[in-house]
This record gives sequence, C-alpha cells and structure tokens, in this order.
Amino acid sequence: MTSLCSLPVARKNAVVALAGNPNTGKSTLFNALTGFRQRVGNYPGVTVEKKTGLLEHEGDGPRIEIIDLPGAYSLSATSADEAIVLDVLLGHKEGIAPPDLIVVVLDASNLSRNLFFASQLLEIGRPVVAALNMVDLAEAAGISIDAAVLSQGIGCKVVPVVATRQVGVTQLKQAIRDCLDTPASNRCPSFPECVCAELDGLNQSVRSNGAPATHPPRVQLLQTLLTPGGYHEQAMIRRCGRGLADELARRRHRIQEAGESIIEVEARIRYAWIDRVLDQAVTRTAPARRNRTEIADRWLTHRLFGLLIFLLAMGICFQSIYAWAAPVMNFIDGAFAMLGGALTAVMPAGALRSLAVDGVVAGVGAVLTFLPQILVLFLFLAILEDCGYMARAALLLDRWMGLLGLNGKSFIPLLSSFACAVPGIMATRTIEDRRDRLVTMLVAPLMSCSARLPVYVLLIGAFVPSVPLLGGLLDLRAATLLAMYAIGAGVAIPVAWLLKRTVLRGTPQPFLIELPTYKWPSPSTVLHRMYEQGRAFCTSAGTIIVAVAVVVWALGYYPHPASIAEEHDARRQAIVAAGAPEPGLSQQLDEIDRSEAGAYLRQSFLGRMGRWIEPLVTPLGWDWRIGTAAIASFPAREVVIATMGTIYNLGGDQDAASVSLREKLRSATWPDGRPVFNLAVALSLMVFFALCCQCGGTLAVIKRETRSWGWPLLTFTYMTALAYVGALATYQIAGRVM
Amino acid sequence: MNQPLPNLKRGQAGIIAGIDAAQPTAKRLADLGFVSGIRITMVRPGKPCIVRIDGRFVGLGASCQQIIRVVPN
Repeated sequence: MTSLCSLPVARKNAVVALAGNPNTGKSTLFNALTGFRQRVGNYPGVTVEKKTGLLEHEGDGPRIEIIDLPGAYSLSATSADEAIVLDVLLGHKEGIAPPDLIVVVLDASNLSRNLFFASQLLEIGRPVVAALNMVDLAEAAGISIDAAVLSQGIGCKVVPVVATRQVGVTQLKQAIRDCLDTPASNRCPSFPECVCAELDGLNQSVRSNGAPATHPPRVQLLQTLLTPGGYHEQAMIRRCGRGLADELARRRHRIQEAGESIIEVEARIRYAWIDRVLDQAVTRTAPARRNRTEIADRWLTHRLFGLLIFLLAMGICFQSIYAWAAPVMNFIDGAFAMLGGALTAVMPAGALRSLAVDGVVAGVGAVLTFLPQILVLFLFLAILEDCGYMARAALLLDRWMGLLGLNGKSFIPLLSSFACAVPGIMATRTIEDRRDRLVTMLVAPLMSCSARLPVYVLLIGAFVPSVPLLGGLLDLRAATLLAMYAIGAGVAIPVAWLLKRTVLRGTPQPFLIELPTYKWPSPSTVLHRMYEQGRAFCTSAGTIIVAVAVVVWALGYYPHPASIAEEHDARRQAIVAAGAPEPGLSQQLDEIDRSEAGAYLRQSFLGRMGRWIEPLVTPLGWDWRIGTAAIASFPAREVVIATMGTIYNLGGDQDAASVSLREKLRSATWPDGRPVFNLAVALSLMVFFALCCQCGGTLAVIKRETRSWGWPLLTFTYMTALAYVGALATYQIAGRVM
Repeated sequence: MNQPLPNLKRGQAGIIAGIDAAQPTAKRLADLGFVSGIRITMVRPGKPCIVRIDGRFVGLGASCQQIIRVVPN
C-alpha cells in the first residue's frame, strides 16, 4: 500500500488528530500512541476536554503532537461536542493549528457505521490514516477484513491494530509518519445533481456574505444544508444573518421537489458506497451467530432484573470502597502521624514547628489518606464504562430520568458527577437541548462526589458502629455510606422536577443511544483512568489544599499573644511549687497544657470567626470548630478534613500529632466536658456536606459553561439552603430518636 | 402498510419506510443508518426500546421511535 503514501519530506513539527465514533477504543489507542506523555486541557472558549500527547517513536523524524478529539458519529453536529470535531479539523479553533493528518479509528466489527464518519473525514482533504481497531474481536465474530482491499476502496492507508494489546501500534506510527504529506485520494461518493447544485448556490451566497478568512469548506456547507436545526446551520445563520434561514428553506424545498429526502440523502449515498466497499473487503467466515451481547442484554436491560443488577453493582462498588481501601488508608494515616511525631521531636517548639506539624503535615496527610477510596471508585467507574455497561445503565434509567423531565443522556453526566461534578458538568455537552443541559448541570453537584467521600469515611469510621446487616452481606457502615450517596441523588429528583416546571420549562428531548458490544475491560485503560484521577487529586492536594491548610493554620495560630503563655506558666509554677504528689501532678500539668492550647485557639482569628457564627450552627449540633471548618472549606470541600485536622490539632494536647484525626474527633469536648461528636452530630455534618456546594471548581465550571454568573449563584444558594435545612432536620430528628 | 416503529412486537422485524420529522434527531438517526430500505428488528419493545439494525443495538426513546416508520415483515 506504499503507492498511497510518499516518503516524508523533512519537517519539524506535525499535528495529528485522532477521530472516530464513540466506543471504538480511541482513548486506548491514544494512550498506546502517546504513553504517559499527555496533557489534558480545554478547547479555548468551551469546556470540551482537549487531550493532547506526543507520539512516542524511536529515532529521528518530526515531533508529532496528537490531539484526541471527542467521539462523534457524524460531522452533522447535533451536539456541542460534535461541533468541536469539525472546528478543530478545519483549523477554526483559536490556538490550534489545523491537523496535518487525521487518524480515523474504526471498530472492525462495526465497520459499516464507522465508515460513515470516515467517509465524511476523507472529504476534508487532509491526509488520513485509518486504524482498524479490535480486529481480534471481529475475527472471533467471523468477520475477516482484507486491509489492502479496504484501503483501495476508501482511498487511504488502513492499519489493522489491537490497541488493548499494543498489536499493530508500531505499524500505525510508521504509517502516520509516512502519510503526513499525502492527501487522501478522493474515492468518496458523489451526491445527486440536485444536492450539488444547491450546495454550489449556497457556497456563492455565503462567500459573498462572510469574512473570507474562515470561508466554510464544502463539508461544512453540506452539513449546513442537510441538517435542519443543527449546529452548523445555527452558526452559519449567526454569521450571515436571518436571510440565510429563508435561503436554506428554499434550497431544501427544491431538493425535496427533485425527489430527495433532506434527512436521508447523505446517509443513503454514503451507506450505498460503504456497502460497495465492504462487499469487496469483507468476508464472513462464519455465519453471524446469536451473539453474547444479545443474551447478556436480556438480563442486563430487563426492566426488573436489569435494575436489580444495577443496584447490586452499585452496592458492591460502595462496599468495596469501604472494605478494600480501609487498610491502605490506615497505613497512610499512621505514616503521616509518625511523620508529625518525628517532626515534633526534632524541631524546636514555636511557630515554624506548629506550621509544619499542625498545618502542612496534618492538612496534607488528612487529605492524602483518601487517595485509596478515590482510586477504588474510579476502578469501578472505568471498568463499567470500558466493558460497555454504562450505555445500558443510561437505557435502564431513561424511564426514571423521565420522571425528572430529563432523558437517559443526563444519566452519564450525573453518574460522572459521583466522581467529580466538574467533568460531570463538562459531560453535559452531549445533551442537545439547552434546558435539559442546564437542569442536569444544576443538579449534578448534588451527586456525592469523591471529595465528599473523605468526610463520610472519617465520620462513619469514628461514630457509626460496625453492625452486620442482611445476614452479613452489608455492614451498617457501608449502608450509611450508601445512604449518604442516596440522599444527594434523592434530593436531585424534586429539584430537577421543580426546575423543569419553573425556570427551565420544556418538553423532554429524544433519547438515542448506541449499545456497544460487551467486551472485557482493558486493564491498561482502566489503570490509566485511575492514574489520571489520582494524579488530579494529588495535584489539588498539593496546591490548593496545602494553601488552604496553611491559611487556616495561620488564622488558628495568630495573634498568639504572650499573655496566655505567661498566665499558664504562672499556674504551672504554682502547682510545682505546691509539691503535689504524682500522678496527680502530671494530670494537673496536662490539664493546664490543654487549657493553654484551647485559650490560644479561642483568641485566634479563626476562633473569633467561629464563635461569631456559632449561634447559626448550634442548632445543627455543631461546635464553633466544626462551623469554622465548614466555612474554611468553601473553596474545596475536601479541605474540611484538613481544616478539622488543623483545628483539632491546635486545640488539642501537645502530642496530638501522634493521634489520628478520628481519635481527636472522638475526644473533642464542649467547654462543659460533653463530647462534641456523637452519632447525631456526625450525621448532621455528613448530610450538610452531601447537599452543600462547597466547591469553587464546580461553580467556576458552571459559570464557564453557561457564560453567566446567575446559574452558579443559583446553584450555590439553593444547595446551601438545602444543606442547612437538611443538617438541621437530621440533627433534630436523630437527636430525639437516639 | 407502513406503521410507526413501536407497533413492532418483540423479535419482529421490518423494513424502514422513512424518517418523519426534519430536525437534528432525524438527521442523527439517518446518519446512524436508520434509512429507508434497511431491515430493523425490535429486540425489546418499550420506552426506551432496543432495536437491532445492521448487527448493532441501539436504544431509542419514545419520541425517536415515533418518527421511524416501518413496513413489518
């Protein structure tokens, strides 16, 4: 097939775009091509995730950057995500050079539909290399593909690969380098005369209308003409004025007069061409047998069993988060306590030691302890996604989402929000309808994200007894954790219902989802996903959380007046002088130490702030220290653990650093000696965090997505109100029942 | 006789006769291969239903089902 590609001329840099349908193993291939040398960001102006990486290769040659485009079925762009694809490919996105080559990923067992998108990409006129992925699965299903014949048929180089096992990746890298300067030979089908005539006419009038710098090419005009109400039509009307809408209507009418269907003509032409190509290139070595996917789906998408299986899967997920992560968590906890103890021993007493031990070590340690939970959660989400189950979950829950006035498409953003609302809100871009998208965005932060998990785990571990339920299948602790997740999701139902009937009234949007063939999840993809999330969490722990921990420490340490030390030193001397016998003496001295630490904290800036809001949080069962921690965690809720670590350390006894935070919470007392925490207070605090919107990142991303401050403000207000009322009700009810 | 897709019973196949509405969803359906003359099988009726088309499975909500017209086999 070298006839299709020429030898590369010397060039320095090149940009390669990776495009393809969803579920073609595109991400796995991206990882295989770039290794771990990746960067994740956003496309300018929008928050569609932009992943780029450098092609790993040996020897000389140009430096090749790969852009992983969002998965798309067509360039017709019925969602914002799909619109990005064509914009990037045409070089219309600011700061992104148009790609020198497009790699289109094809699922070998699903070639017909995959070639539809490929045929559109081939018409852009850039060099194209097709990566024929999952050839092993196709072979197993009795589909044999002659890559050489396929390559002749579609007019670009075709490389068979199995991305999950790194098969064919070297050949693909070679093909990318070889074909950089070889435009695809256009073997694509031609459209009927009536369509071509209208396309030429449209080209003329748009050319006379818009700025020549970004003159739309033919592929874009074709989609403008043939997708009524689509993204390209809207963009073109914005650019050329309302007159274009009438013109489009006239042109479409003429095409229909000629006997063509606007909606179907492109599909009819392309699929006829695809059938001709595949007729030559594909042989079925075995008759298509009743496939395993269909049999599995009988159960997995069953209205009753399917739902039960889904709930079971979620139950196992949460049970594992608790059971598997606990030992690692205790280990990390112990390691940081030891580090704190060691620092206390070697550093001279004073502000610096307090900063290191009470501020940095206590803060970072308290947060990093929760890395194992986050990794386990992503292990499950990545497995469910990679094996193809997620689409079934969306299908199953479409009925239930219908109750909210949303469709199953909103389910995936909401489920992602269980990990983190920020990518969840970004995932709403696949929802076509603006109102549905807004409702999904506004309720997404109610889903219990991984940053809430530390709060739950800490408080449950400290205050919920371990009691086996359902004959030992579930522990009371795991059940409480599940309940916390259920609260957020449960509250989302009336909130979405209300939003759909008031500010965002509208009819439910059509639900259309492809159910990919089940496959074994690829360990490399799953591990990569865990690595990415773990790294993101640690980065945030390393920056914002440390910063907040230090600020909170400073507010809790200063002004640190000498008068307190003098007063307590005088008391110590008096006791020692009185010559009381041991062990009473040590006890009295410890008592003075605690009183001294408490006095410092009370007069600190943080203490003053906390006491100022105390009347507001007392009805929730909180002392001023919890209230302060809640306020300090406004920028990021995972900070609350670090803040509590710092506050209870500052206010505790001298070797508090060697005691875990869990123990410190258990031993914290009100001034009258009653313990601060009991089950009711712990539940109240957990409910508060389940419902509040203490996350600067979420609010910022809602602002960016909606381009207004109104929506994030509404989100913050309604969630904070709900959280307060929820915590109040929980404490008052739990306090009376228990 | 052409009928709306939801009229197909579990396991019943038909030939697509056309897609009704002119809106982005209709174009999306067509691009996914829901075009006249293609064989479609109702795998699981309901809202949403699962259909098989060209060897793959697609879930369709109520409004998508209504705009697809089929001639049952």
